[in-house]
Amino acid sequence: MALEIDRSIIGSEFDRTQFEPVKQEEILEYSDVSGETGTTDATGRLIAPPGFVVRLRGKRFMPANLPKFGPNAFDAGKDIEFGAPICEGDALIGVSTVHDIYEKTGRSGSMWFLVLRTVLTNQRDEQVAVIDQKMMFR
Amino acid sequence: MANTVHWADIDVGHELRPLQLTLTSEQVRRYAVVAHMPGGRFMSDEDARQEGLPGQIVPGNMSLALFSRLIQESLPGATLKRLGATFRGLVRPGVAIAVSGVVTEKHCTDHGDILECDLVLESADGDRWVTGTASMQLPTRD
Repeated sequence: MALEIDRSIIGSEFDRTQFEPVKQEEILEYSDVSGETGTTDATGRLIAPPGFVVRLRGKRFMPANLPKFGPNAFDAGKDIEFGAPICEGDALIGVSTVHDIYEKTGRSGSMWFLVLRTVLTNQRDEQVAVIDQKMMFR
Repeated sequence: MANTVHWADIDVGHELRPLQLTLTSEQVRRYAVVAHMPGGRFMSDEDARQEGLPGQIVPGNMSLALFSRLIQESLPGATLKRLGATFRGLVRPGVAIAVSGVVTEKHCTDHGDILECDLVLESADGDRWVTGTASMQLPTRD
């Protein structure tokens, strides 16, 4: 039986997290394990490398009221738009919403895709990143 | 930055210098811990098998970080504006991989001079496990 999706969930906010100020050690530790290197700004503050944004995970990873798409979930991809750089000392806020839900039918049957969007802003209300995470269910 | 690459130096078709590497189980585990990636699948073969996987796997975010590293190392001075990846297959530690990219477009915008790249992470046999695209701004000469 086809899954009925209540599309009113699209656009709904499911997480809002105020992160602790970014520490220099966190940037250095991330650079060490990822191979991406940070730089410094004009005042000598350390700037995090681009991939650091995915380290900022909100309190709630998924909406609580998701339909039952299927037993298996996979990380299908990510798309990140970068804005203002993240510097040590920045206090970031992440707001996550359900951005899209759609179905695709392939040779192996039906798959559902859920796109979760997280917008990160800093203490100056500058947009730091928009992260679209695509999850696949089947 | 002494070895900064400028927008005018790069043409469409320019190939980024590939990364050839084999991630170890410990590197993957450390990345997962530091990047706050929960899940046994990133910790060990044993934990991953309990989740129905063939063994420990590399987090998608770590593949994304390899794309970012490729751009940083190949195009010093570039500022990443957008990075996207599609995770098409399981990337495993202990397996040789190549991360490469090619410049597909150059254009001038109101926000700067932008390069577009296609990116791929593949096995030694040419299996494309992760594909991606990136947009980046390069400095112009004064």
